[in-house]
Amino acid sequence: MTDAVTVAGLVKTFGSTRALNGLDLAVRTGEVHGFLGPNGAGKSTTIRVLLGLARADAGTARLLGGDPWAEAATLHRRLAYVPGDVTLWPHLTGGEVIDLLGGLRGGLDRRRRTDLLDRFDLDPRKKCRAYSKGNRQKVALVAALACDAELLILDEPTSGLDPLMEEVFREAVREERRRGDRTVLLSSHILSEVEALCDRVTIIRDGRAVDSGTLAELRHLTRTSVEAELAGPAPRLAGLPGVHDVRSDGDRVSFDVDTSELDGALRRLTEVGVRGLACRPPTLEELFLRHYDRAGRHAGAGR
Amino acid sequence: MSALAGTGRLTRLALRRERAVAPWWILVIVTLAMAVVSYITRNMGTYEQKVSYTRLIGSGGFLHALGGGTVEPRLEVLATWRSGGFLYVACAFAAVMSVVRHTRREEDAGRGELIGSTAVSRRAPLTAAVLVASGVSLAAGLATAAALIGLGLEPVGSLAYGAAVSVAGWVFAGVAAVAAQLARDAGAATAIGLSALAVAYVTRYAGDATGQHWLKALSPIGWSHLVRPYQDERWWMLGVPLLAGGALLAVAYRLLDRRDLGGGLLPERLGPAQAPRARGPVGMAWRLHRGLLAAWAAGVAFFAAAAAGLSPLARDLLARPSVVVDNIVRTLGMPAGKALAAYSWYMILILAYAIALYPVLMTLRLRAEERSGRAEAVQATPLSRLRWAAGHLVVAGLGTAGLLAVGGLVFGTLFALLVGDLATDVPRFVAGALSAVPAAWCVGALCVLAYGLLPRASAAICWAVWILTAALGQVVAPLYGLWGGSPVEPFHYVGNPMTASSSGPAAQAALLGVTAALLCGGLWALRRRDLG
Repeated sequence: MTDAVTVAGLVKTFGSTRALNGLDLAVRTGEVHGFLGPNGAGKSTTIRVLLGLARADAGTARLLGGDPWAEAATLHRRLAYVPGDVTLWPHLTGGEVIDLLGGLRGGLDRRRRTDLLDRFDLDPRKKCRAYSKGNRQKVALVAALACDAELLILDEPTSGLDPLMEEVFREAVREERRRGDRTVLLSSHILSEVEALCDRVTIIRDGRAVDSGTLAELRHLTRTSVEAELAGPAPRLAGLPGVHDVRSDGDRVSFDVDTSELDGALRRLTEVGVRGLACRPPTLEELFLRHYDRAGRHAGAGR
Repeated sequence: MSALAGTGRLTRLALRRERAVAPWWILVIVTLAMAVVSYITRNMGTYEQKVSYTRLIGSGGFLHALGGGTVEPRLEVLATWRSGGFLYVACAFAAVMSVVRHTRREEDAGRGELIGSTAVSRRAPLTAAVLVASGVSLAAGLATAAALIGLGLEPVGSLAYGAAVSVAGWVFAGVAAVAAQLARDAGAATAIGLSALAVAYVTRYAGDATGQHWLKALSPIGWSHLVRPYQDERWWMLGVPLLAGGALLAVAYRLLDRRDLGGGLLPERLGPAQAPRARGPVGMAWRLHRGLLAAWAAGVAFFAAAAAGLSPLARDLLARPSVVVDNIVRTLGMPAGKALAAYSWYMILILAYAIALYPVLMTLRLRAEERSGRAEAVQATPLSRLRWAAGHLVVAGLGTAGLLAVGGLVFGTLFALLVGDLATDVPRFVAGALSAVPAAWCVGALCVLAYGLLPRASAAICWAVWILTAALGQVVAPLYGLWGGSPVEPFHYVGNPMTASSSGPAAQAALLGVTAALLCGGLWALRRRDLG
């Protein structure tokens, strides 16, 4: 399978600030790729480099098989972008802006435009200055989704949308995924959204990718939470390699264990006899919090 | 993919947004050109009067330098001598503002990013902006030529004059295109473009005033003057600004190809990490608007210094017996013996009319705070709406008085050093300038009333208030024959404290009363209406 986006060793500095510090990112054609990171991690800078709006200081970036800086306009015919903070022309109506952006991208699908306006419950006759933040976001989303682009780059696209509209957005992204030839790069810090939509995820921190893979792979590389009810008193687990946060209460014990060390920990439990066992893969929240634990002990543990 | 993909659509978008601005610039330029012709027709009807005026112009380098060149006692030459300096600068000014508006300001607003993500080439937004700005300049030049031909002036000369106006806009569209690549934001880009315009004007003026014509030939504004319409129409001279504008545009493209969207080539400085202390409404308004006030103070000081620099010339000029000078002095309502004081007061009045724009702009900033939603955020704190507005108005009011004081102080001090006496002139000039404070406040207060009552129309009303005040006032109105101005604008009631013909405390108190009433009305309306 080819890659829609390939980024390797990307560096971008603004004065003394190093916004991107050797970032790697690969988005496969046909997938919905989650791009996760806290504020200031470099998500928007990466997207600006991919859009040819900013030039990288070092490293390579390829987008749809082209150079995003040198071939910006050509590549932009094949993609659509929704910024996180949408500003529009105050004197134009929402419908005019959708058509303007569609025209600049090289045309849009009228039927899809009507359908999306209806689903997002957006009145295209209102002037943009009268729109709330959520409605401006909808204008940008409709303009992007209606133009039949190979690649959608969405930078925190649901900020300002209510839960109903968020669901409409998710359904629209799922439709894109079902077509198979559409790629979506979704930057977000809303984990439930990424968990619900994305095939693969890249987590970045301080301008560097700290983890990348399918959600299943990421979970495989990290810890599992175990709760067990035992036949006898709990054995000593704290000294075992890869076992953390042991809490025991009589014949009940709970702990986290690095997935690679799961076997040894379970063997110790079965020596005593297991009556009940609950194993839970970590949620994306836990993965995320672990990577952003500023003490940094586990940062990059997945590599 | 063409290097200019998307330019057509972006040009249409820019033209559409320019609808509200460009027609006014064209109107101002054409009106000024026509007003000067009718002024000269009316006031210098005979050949003898024209010769006398020409001789007056020829007698002093500084007066002559207002228009420069060779002045002949012919209507069209006198008219272009008088209006050219304004029209070239006005057209260039409009071009700078237009280019920055459609490039850097779009980037600052974040719309540049949205446009940049579509299938338009990187150069398209700049190309569209320059096309629109030069198109407007061309329209202004053609309209000027058509209007002058309509007034019966010679067609070839009129076309040359219109072309000279247009190329000034073209060159400065190029300057602004480069400035937009260098600057950190739209404000800085405008500042760079307008500074270049100021330098070009001063260089041209200095060249004409001192006879160093190479200075004039170096100035982009000077190039327009050197076309010499109605004289020998040096058409080839138009090629210089055309080439220079093209070269500047090429430089701008090269810079554009190297920079990030939203980034400039000049570095961004970090600001303080924290505010010094808790601020009240006045402290907050001061922090927000001190930059504007500082820029104004610098401009006022510069103009006052220039006016004072001209005073030795004015003294020599006024000492000579001359019918025209006597006419001017008399029609301004001044005793003939105090011509120098009359000159000083005239300069202070020019300053005062200009400074009256400051409270107007401050009122527009109040509206901008409201429009952007920043006022909403501020008023969600315990700060009440009235105190929020009052904070801005205190800064606006004291700022206006401060600017007039700065003008009077700089003018008075330099005047005293050159032709007067420090002990008496400095307080006299400062007091004279400060006597215009109530009138300037009154202009601002009318804008506040408009802002309170009709927020949506307030930007247009505010500009109209200031333009009418200036146009009907004692400085501009004589240009079209309304000697002494008209009683509908507040400066009419200031009198002339410099020649002791002041209208006295009663008129000043009345102005203050009107100001207070307008302010109360405006604040009352603001408190009652919806915000946003």
